[in-house]
Amino acid sequence: MSDAPPPGSHRGDAATGAAPPGPRVILDEQGRAAPRLDFGWEQAVVPVAPPPAPRRWSGLGRLAAGAGVLVLGLSALDAANFVAAQFERGAALGWVTLGVVLAGFGLIASAGWAEMRGLLRLRSVDRARAAFARGDLEAARTEVIRWAAGVEEAAAIQPALREARSLEELRGLLSAPLRSLESQASTLGRNAAVQAFSVTAISPSPGLDALVFAWRGVRLVRQVAALHGIRPGIAATAALLRRTLFDAATVAATDIAVDAAARALLTNPLLEKVAGEAAAGAVAARRMLRLARAAAEACRVFPPG
Amino acid sequence: MASLLDPLGLLRDLAEGTEQLGRALVGQERIRLAVTGLTRAGKTVFLTSLVANLLAAGRGSRTLPALEAAAGGRLRAVRLVPAGVESVPRFDVHAHLAALAQDPPAWPDRTEDLSTLELTLELERRSLFGGMLGTRSVTLELLDYPGEWLLDLPMLGQDFAAWSAETLARLRMPERLPATRDFLAFVDALPADVPEEEALARRGHALYRDALRACRDRLGFRFLQPGRALNPGPRGEAPLLWFFPLPHPRGGGLAALLARRHAAYVAEQRDRFFDPFFRRFQRQAVLVDVLGALHAGEAAFADTAEALGAIARAMGEGNGLLARLLGLATTRVAFAATKADHVPARQREALTALLGHLVHAPQAGAAAAGATTAVHALAAIRCTEDDVATLEGRPVAAVRGVLLQEGRSAKVYPGEVPMSPPQPGFWRHAYFEMPAFRPPRLDPAGTSGVPHLGLDALLAWLIGDLL
Repeated sequence: MSDAPPPGSHRGDAATGAAPPGPRVILDEQGRAAPRLDFGWEQAVVPVAPPPAPRRWSGLGRLAAGAGVLVLGLSALDAANFVAAQFERGAALGWVTLGVVLAGFGLIASAGWAEMRGLLRLRSVDRARAAFARGDLEAARTEVIRWAAGVEEAAAIQPALREARSLEELRGLLSAPLRSLESQASTLGRNAAVQAFSVTAISPSPGLDALVFAWRGVRLVRQVAALHGIRPGIAATAALLRRTLFDAATVAATDIAVDAAARALLTNPLLEKVAGEAAAGAVAARRMLRLARAAAEACRVFPPG
Repeated sequence: MASLLDPLGLLRDLAEGTEQLGRALVGQERIRLAVTGLTRAGKTVFLTSLVANLLAAGRGSRTLPALEAAAGGRLRAVRLVPAGVESVPRFDVHAHLAALAQDPPAWPDRTEDLSTLELTLELERRSLFGGMLGTRSVTLELLDYPGEWLLDLPMLGQDFAAWSAETLARLRMPERLPATRDFLAFVDALPADVPEEEALARRGHALYRDALRACRDRLGFRFLQPGRALNPGPRGEAPLLWFFPLPHPRGGGLAALLARRHAAYVAEQRDRFFDPFFRRFQRQAVLVDVLGALHAGEAAFADTAEALGAIARAMGEGNGLLARLLGLATTRVAFAATKADHVPARQREALTALLGHLVHAPQAGAAAAGATTAVHALAAIRCTEDDVATLEGRPVAAVRGVLLQEGRSAKVYPGEVPMSPPQPGFWRHAYFEMPAFRPPRLDPAGTSGVPHLGLDALLAWLIGDLL
């Protein structure tokens, strides 16, 4: 080792006497180029299976579960007591009552199962997207094969998906069916836009406009989700709406500006009425188109871009 | 900055507050993280490392363990928000990473323009009930910009006369005289009623700009205004930049011309830079090159503290009661000493303590405005490892790295880092310029992120509560 002047200016380091040494650079004696440092970072941060995230019951969750247990549990107990009482009155009466009770609870269970399936399909999309994001080929392949089984456009590529050797191959194979689904979603969006435009232009009250727009919007989101094989129930529709709501709302500020400009330009009362309603209709139509695109993006097995 | 006197700003705040509330309700929060720092504090490298390590963490790599712990292991994916129709350039993290990984490597050049980037963090929900609604997302908005421009912030509240008086007082300080003597001789020779002469304005501006550059590059000063005189940005110099402080700033003639240009400059910086990007942000990281300031000497150290204080005062003005009520106020401010790998591990605590003293005033200001503050030490990209050097027969803790220019391995003894503002005797060792090191071996694609020191702890403190 040898002391050497630093590469930069180094004034005032004439440390003499008992003063502590000043900062300095000490070049290696060997005088040849050194390789860059290697901290073994790639090995140190190598991905490990993520630990299952701890889940806890939220207050709302406990409230809903408690109410569900009370309503369903007490109803079941009440129904069982009632069936037993009916059997005491007569066997035929008992069997008929039992049939009614089983049919009723069976329908409730099937509705619950349909809700759960819709939600599970949506979670499957989430899992696929997460697998693509972290570059986990095995998990991504498993999820997209499961997804493809429920989507008509993608059913035919399942064998090819099984053989895919990289995420890029998976993306390439899925691009054609996804393009087809996006085009169908756009068609659905255009149909909804025409309906929203027409209804807004002729409807007598703004309140009705909002109601029709909301109903058509929810229906559109469910239609787009069904295209992607999700067939959402009430809970899954709520989850999808949550995802698409803000994407679709980002155009709201522009809409308000366009609407205000259209109204400000017209002074004739009749023209103002007609054009004003048409402008509102155009805004509603554009929102529908945006909603269709946002819903399609929320349902894709891997995010766009 | 929004008040009842600014109805448009008030409306914007109301709309933004409502949007934030709605987003929080449906689990799609959007957080603006303001990364502020003086020039050469390391903002671009910090953002590059932050983005690369977050993306890697989203792929499951354990690049940010403290942040992962703060998120309770629920971080499932991180992705860049695809480009839309933005008019501001996009922060090119991949180009920066490729330049750092190439042979020979290159650190990012001085930032010349604004650039932005958005990252979406997807997280599992905490509760079973919420889990049925799918993942939550937190979008981080990031901005890179020339550090020199930040010093224009204190100018927003000053007229030409006040700015001239304050600036000339700084330029006349003995430590700055070697760089400012020519300019001061020029302005002091101007009579009070000098006529509006363009040639004089151009000559004065050229001398002023040269003085500022010398102050920055030779003497290590940071409190230099206006920022665009040092870094005009991609559009180059425009006539509104051709002003300089005058000893007789009031009156007609040249003084009136320079005052008009000063006002136009301040208005443009407000409209094009501060209002769109710094008006509202929820979290703030203030990066400080403490070691650089310490090595540049007593005056430069005090100048850094003064500059940070002035910026903090100007930024804190937006955190009024209304902003707090609407949930738009800055709630966490982290002060971070960058390039912490330039000192050995045992001195990093001292570096953090020294930063605490340096930013005492801004920290108190942020706390008074309702924000929680913390002080950290970090290296966005770790370039050295700890070693021992022998100086005057004594072993001392040092760091070892590969010098950027020479490509040779070298030990650097950074001197003793004091835990509090240094005593006068300390400055005998001033004017040391820390050499630039080569970054460690990196994957150009950034698949596994980049080695860092303390970045995860900073992020965990800054945004961990949102995850």
